[in-house]
Amino acid sequence: MSQGKIVGGFVAPHPPHLVYGENPPQNEARSEGGWEPLRWAYERARKSLEEMKPDVLLVHSPHWQTLVGHHFLGVPHLEGKSVDPIFSNLFRYKFSLDVDVELAEACCQEAAAMGLTTKMMRNPKFRVDYGTITTLHMIRPQWDIPIVGISANNSPYYLSVDEGVEQMDTLGVATRKAIEKSGKRAVLLASNTFSHWHFHEEPDVPEDMSREHPQSYEGYKWDMKMIELMRQGNLKEVMRLFPQWVEEAFAEVKSGAFPWMLSAMGYPEIPAELHGYGTVIGTGNAVMEWNLEKAAARDAAVA
Amino acid sequence: MTVVSAFLVPGSPLPYLRQDNAPWQPLAAGYEKVREALRASRPDALLIYSTQWFAVLDQLWQARPHLTGEHVDENWYEYGDLTIDLRSDTDLVDACIAGCADIGIRAKGVNYDHFPVDTGTIVANNFVNPGGKIPLVIAANNLYHGPGETEKLAAMAVEQADKQGKRLAVLAIGGLSAAYFDEEIDIAEDRIRHDADDAANRQLLDALANGDRRSASEALGRFNETTKADMGMKHLSWLFGATGDFKGAQLHAYGPTYGAGAAVVEFNL
Repeated sequence: MSQGKIVGGFVAPHPPHLVYGENPPQNEARSEGGWEPLRWAYERARKSLEEMKPDVLLVHSPHWQTLVGHHFLGVPHLEGKSVDPIFSNLFRYKFSLDVDVELAEACCQEAAAMGLTTKMMRNPKFRVDYGTITTLHMIRPQWDIPIVGISANNSPYYLSVDEGVEQMDTLGVATRKAIEKSGKRAVLLASNTFSHWHFHEEPDVPEDMSREHPQSYEGYKWDMKMIELMRQGNLKEVMRLFPQWVEEAFAEVKSGAFPWMLSAMGYPEIPAELHGYGTVIGTGNAVMEWNLEKAAARDAAVA
Repeated sequence: MTVVSAFLVPGSPLPYLRQDNAPWQPLAAGYEKVREALRASRPDALLIYSTQWFAVLDQLWQARPHLTGEHVDENWYEYGDLTIDLRSDTDLVDACIAGCADIGIRAKGVNYDHFPVDTGTIVANNFVNPGGKIPLVIAANNLYHGPGETEKLAAMAVEQADKQGKRLAVLAIGGLSAAYFDEEIDIAEDRIRHDADDAANRQLLDALANGDRRSASEALGRFNETTKADMGMKHLSWLFGATGDFKGAQLHAYGPTYGAGAAVVEFNL
């Protein structure tokens, strides 16, 4: 068996509005569209993902928040109807997904060996969170690639941002080790928004884009600054500024998905590709890609 | 009198799913006392606020006439499944939604099958209202509402019940100190995680047992300043807003839920 590897990673935010705007058959709610630039960004990301030919998608979602450690979906097949508790008018989605339990167990064991509290979720009636489902639908609506679902441990909120990042860094390393031993080609998905300042009232027509814009100019400026650093490949500076970004932009990256993904990829100093940026109820959302395999091929060609 | 009974109860599923676990038994037993007191108060509807049903846009109200199904908690899934059997007082829910406009708060009802009702609401209903015989009015915890707006919403709901000539029981669902153990523990050894939290919990409960709304509000302010509390104890704000005032309370149970504090309290109206 050849060594497995992480072929790429995406920031893949999960506003259910994007599924609602697309009107897929799985979603009960119907729209007139909306949030097109972000949905088109996902279209570009879908093409890149297709070219990566991954065996498995690993997604870390802030909407499966766990108090005691880091949890992994551990049931081979999960299905049901997911209704968003906050945006139930927009998201009532019939999902059916396959879990790569073998890799999930390996990640769980590696993380435990590195000192994290971990647990496998074995209840077949478990309701998969809408963040996981939205991200997976938007990046791969065919649902034909097995997934590993990872919870967001509450440590960045319960302890501190620094302690939370430390745990995510460890979880990322453990994830990488498990993938390398698996022999599989893996793509990582960090399911989070950037600036998370948002409006508190919904327009009568949710997809009325004349009402959509950044809720906070400060949040927008932070997002642009961080995206530009990512586009430059300057992840050292991104991580140096991370706590301030979280604090001043109320950034959802605090929940851990973003630092987990960067750590798993080894904080690659390669330019990230921005597929698109847009707001959803005022929050800042970027679809971004780190294509590690392409970058390695470029390096090899230069050498 | 519109409000005929009022209770503070925990939203953790642990005392419900593992009633055999010694540290959680008192909370389950306390819940049994609430069930008896609730039945004796003969309410027409049960006004529920759980810290675990979050809203961020508008004020949400559960408008589904009858919700059934099974629920698995996202944290405590290994302890078992929860049966959902909830009936809403849709007339009163509609009145509350309309009444929100009068107090300057945008609101809407949610009426969808498979709606993910929060664990706290399911646990409390199963304990005190098995079979869902008493219809419910369930309000979400809008994360951006402070204690003042929460009290106003509860008072508005009582006003609407009064207009409909209904007797109302109030259920405030949530914990006390919110510091849980973040590592696996032997659940048979569960305890309040921090001694300081234990002391603060007891002070607050003592203030509820022996005070009125004014003194309890002062105690609640001190509690929130010194303790990492469950959602800033907005569930108590809800209860205060609904009852207007009270004359002490009976503490039926106090104990840990994986390190966090929880209590079952019946208020004297």
